[in-house]
Amino acid sequence: MRQLTFNRPIIWQPLPGMILSTRLMDILWLLVFAALLVACVVWAVSTGSYGLDINKVVQALLTPEAVPERQVNLVWELRLPRIMAAVLCGAALSVAGVIMQAITRNPLASPGLTGVESGASVTLLVLLILLPNALPHYLLPLAALIGGGAVAAFVYILASLRGFSPLRLILVGVGITALLSSVSDLLITYGDIERVESALIWLSGSLHQVTWPDIQVMAWWSIAGLLVWSTFRTLNLLRLGDSVALSRGVNPKVMIPVLLLLAVALTSAAVATVGTLSFVGLMAPHIARRFCGDRHGVLIPMAAMVGGLMVLLGDTIGRILFAPLQLPSGLVIVMIGAPYFVFLMRKMRH
Amino acid sequence: MNDSTSVSALPKSGGVSLKLMGMLAVGLLLLVVCWLHLALGAKSIDWALVWQALFNYDASDSEQILVREMRMSRLLVSLVVGAALALAGVLIQAVSRNPLADPGILGINSGAAFFVVAGLLFVSGSRSVSVPLLAFSGALFAALLVVMLTGRQQSSGRMILAGAAVAALFSAMTAVLLLVDQQGLEKLRNWLTGSISASDIRKLDWVWPYLVPAMVGSLLLAKSLNAHHLGDMAASGLGVKVGRLKLLSLFVIVVLSGSAVALVGPIGFVGLVVPHMARFVIRNDFRWLIPYALLLGAIVMVSADLMGRLLVRPYEINTGIVTALIGAPFFIALVIWRVR
Repeated sequence: MRQLTFNRPIIWQPLPGMILSTRLMDILWLLVFAALLVACVVWAVSTGSYGLDINKVVQALLTPEAVPERQVNLVWELRLPRIMAAVLCGAALSVAGVIMQAITRNPLASPGLTGVESGASVTLLVLLILLPNALPHYLLPLAALIGGGAVAAFVYILASLRGFSPLRLILVGVGITALLSSVSDLLITYGDIERVESALIWLSGSLHQVTWPDIQVMAWWSIAGLLVWSTFRTLNLLRLGDSVALSRGVNPKVMIPVLLLLAVALTSAAVATVGTLSFVGLMAPHIARRFCGDRHGVLIPMAAMVGGLMVLLGDTIGRILFAPLQLPSGLVIVMIGAPYFVFLMRKMRH
Repeated sequence: MNDSTSVSALPKSGGVSLKLMGMLAVGLLLLVVCWLHLALGAKSIDWALVWQALFNYDASDSEQILVREMRMSRLLVSLVVGAALALAGVLIQAVSRNPLADPGILGINSGAAFFVVAGLLFVSGSRSVSVPLLAFSGALFAALLVVMLTGRQQSSGRMILAGAAVAALFSAMTAVLLLVDQQGLEKLRNWLTGSISASDIRKLDWVWPYLVPAMVGSLLLAKSLNAHHLGDMAASGLGVKVGRLKLLSLFVIVVLSGSAVALVGPIGFVGLVVPHMARFVIRNDFRWLIPYALLLGAIVMVSADLMGRLLVRPYEINTGIVTALIGAPFFIALVIWRVR
């Protein structure tokens, strides 16, 4: 039977999320998180074994000339690099998590699934436990970067051996992660216990050795995050499925590898600077989604701030909880974040 | 529940006698592997001496003591652990209809390990009672978490991811505990990677009361599993209560993998590999698959332990690491060839 409605004008409607439509609430939440982040940075600078009051901190940050040199040094040379590293790495991991979850269309995907983290960990364990004097200390992050990148490339090659699919990618990622973690287990179990302990602390994400040059490197890598933000439209479309993306002029065959590369770059930079903090990349995007939904134009900056906040809080709480003992921030994040994550996932069971 | 009322819900593949012959062959293979396990190691022992130690024991000969006291108990532990893990793998793959499922990959083993470590640090008292119970509760907790995270939709990818997240979570929390208590690390790092050498035969007594009912129970579940294999609708049509079947299987899986963890620590991938090996021989008849898996699991575990001891002798690699090094490539191959 022929349809009778023939004169209906076809209205071209953009798919949701095609343009960066900002709502008032989005801007509000972004501002709230930015303010929260600044407040946390100031708080993190002021706490520690040598306490400073907030006024002093603000003075030291804004007008360093007016404050005694010792306090300026403390703030600028000891605490600030660490805090910047925490924020940048958290943001990088979180954005990488957003990418992974969008590409795989799976809320449980994390940046670690590309194999970057396990590759970097194994590289580092080999260098720290088996060949403790092979490389000078400042080259270790670079080595971790190379190791992580190599493993990620390997995972991608394996996943696309018989045609790439997001499901294959994550499953191969799980397999490679399991394989490499058994290699690290091997090293951890039979290595010299002193070296194992220092390696373990590094691996569980600790920030106490970060210096300004590290931050500079990290900041360069963060440009990848800006690139990701510029592709928010692609991410929105990819989430809806390959065919939708294709019909709107996004070629998944090209864009998925590009986005993966960006995710790997972000993750490996973060891992090389602070060690493995895998949970942030899994969790921060979900927290951010509670405030802005799945619109990546807003989600990406929001997730970046949430991730930064998480690592910063984890690190600072780890510093003060059992002072003078410092808990690695990765462990603090897992301890606090895991129950919340379970709660979060319970709400979205579909 | 007699045979005339039950529906044999399977394609006939090969006669019963063929399956029995296969079983016999697998049993012989198991005997050979066990023999090698007793005879080879850091110190190879003459075959005649092994025979003597087994049937004509002379307690004054140091080599016979080695066979009887050290290797024998190791052998028994690995037999039991291998069988339990393989059985857990068969059940978990059947119930979740996911060929990639495994107690290790789904985080059940790491949940049990975390509870055991936490319990040993904070609870004092008799280990023989507490360790298995801690392991069971950890395994149950992790399994429920995975079920919850997977949600209603039967997506194998999502389930594996949920398992990976749970496994990562629990191993991170174990790491927290061990960093806080560094002497604990020194003591437990061996057990935490799944080591049969850290176990001994007395620990078997801890888990027998749970393990035997679980194994018998899984045999009783075989018929319902056959029906379940046809799909939920068909199964309920055949009079199987699917919900109850899943719940029972969950308990059996928890007990089986919890016992394995209590004995030797978390060992992964045996539960993944063995069901596929068994299905190579037997298609999907669980009445045969389960006994085959028991034998094959024992073979895999004993040979993994043997390899761990032989590869770097006189040192040894923990069995859990050996199984992961072999099993993980197997998992990846399965993903590449079987997923979509």
